[in-house]
Amino acid sequence: EQERQEKTSLLPNSEEKSSVAAPECLLSYARREWKGNTAKSLLIRKGYEATAWVFESLRRVRGDNYCALRATLFQLLGQSRKVPAWLQDPEILKWPKQVQCVQDLVAQWRFPFGSRDGEGGAVERLERCLKLLRSRWLEAVECVHPAERERMCQQVFEGTLDEYEMLEALKFLMLHTAVQLHGAISKGLRVPEFCWLLFARDTSKCPRTFFTNHLRHVGFSGGLEQVEMFLLGYSLQQTIQVYRLYKTDSEEFVTYYPDDHKPDWPCLSLVTEDDRHYNILVPKQDKQLYSKFDESGRSKMNHPSGSQAQKQHVTRL
Amino acid sequence: MSYIPGQPVTAVVQRIEIQKLRDGDNLILGFSIGGGIDQDPGQNPFSEDKTDKGIYVTRVSKGGPADVAGLMTGDKIMQVNGWDMTMVTHDQARKRLTKKNEDVVRLLVTRKSLEDVVRQSMMPH
Repeated sequence: EQERQEKTSLLPNSEEKSSVAAPECLLSYARREWKGNTAKSLLIRKGYEATAWVFESLRRVRGDNYCALRATLFQLLGQSRKVPAWLQDPEILKWPKQVQCVQDLVAQWRFPFGSRDGEGGAVERLERCLKLLRSRWLEAVECVHPAERERMCQQVFEGTLDEYEMLEALKFLMLHTAVQLHGAISKGLRVPEFCWLLFARDTSKCPRTFFTNHLRHVGFSGGLEQVEMFLLGYSLQQTIQVYRLYKTDSEEFVTYYPDDHKPDWPCLSLVTEDDRHYNILVPKQDKQLYSKFDESGRSKMNHPSGSQAQKQHVTRL
Repeated sequence: MSYIPGQPVTAVVQRIEIQKLRDGDNLILGFSIGGGIDQDPGQNPFSEDKTDKGIYVTRVSKGGPADVAGLMTGDKIMQVNGWDMTMVTHDQARKRLTKKNEDVVRLLVTRKSLEDVVRQSMMPH
């Protein structure tokens, strides 16, 4: 079944078309953005330098209230090796009709940018959003060449309707998971630790209030709180690994959302300076399995980039 | 959530034998190293002690000789074929690992337990 692809950007002409910028050198970015010698600048730069041990570049993400979701979605489409089995199950398309105790709220789901022509209600639209997420994810994973995959991602992440519909699909999956987890708590079943925090807040004691007071505002007037990042990772069965630069030198420098499935859930890497805005991390590429040696036996592919007087070397052997 | 206070972080010693892969004139190990006494230890995301100037494995190529041998990102290399690696420069470490007349390198590494937040993340996917 062909999915109609909305190619036109929905953003005003004056805005940057691309929702995710091209990769740029991490260290150059850090030096440019954080000049000066305040304690904060030094800490953030140090955080970027530690991140640069493992990651080559960073991709800036459009800084609106969707950015945590957008960064995660981009990594999903850009880096994922496979689509999880649960997403491939045809049953999930029934979820928007079947979510218990919040059915009326789902029926009033708010989408950015209004609707496509000739649509049914919110529930049908959410079904389409889930279908779109699944087909785009499959398409991404099946790309043979990285260049092809990059092209596909860039096409989507240009403020297109597809992009925003997939972001709303992610929100729906979070709601669905919250309902499942809350149901489990009521039955006295074991749930991940973060659930206790999620439902401990006065403003979100149950999925209804969680949705009304928090989730429905994501993208519009608010972003994701940290406990909601756990829910996002859990909903997608991905480990969202975040380098939190204002936490450099502490145990929370790298935080995993969630942290209890690191070996078995694929890892998506993001970076944040403040837990508000998230950018994307691009790993050092495995261009080849080995390094070429010159006549005297020295590796020609010495990391890192020559753009700074190096104090830290990483050598590929 | 990423750190449980009071949990001990224990080290495990592993012996890793890497069969270098020959590709024409090149001998491939399939991993990258960081650190050395001439490097800035404060930037090392894998070390517990930020003054540790040891040699650390920063990345392991998936399916490569080091991966096959069981080397893991974040491992600290203590010895290579009997040579100490705890007090060497970055370049000395490189040389000890890439001797052209050696097809095999036997490493002694220490590896932290799974509570270590940073290193576990670097596993290739």
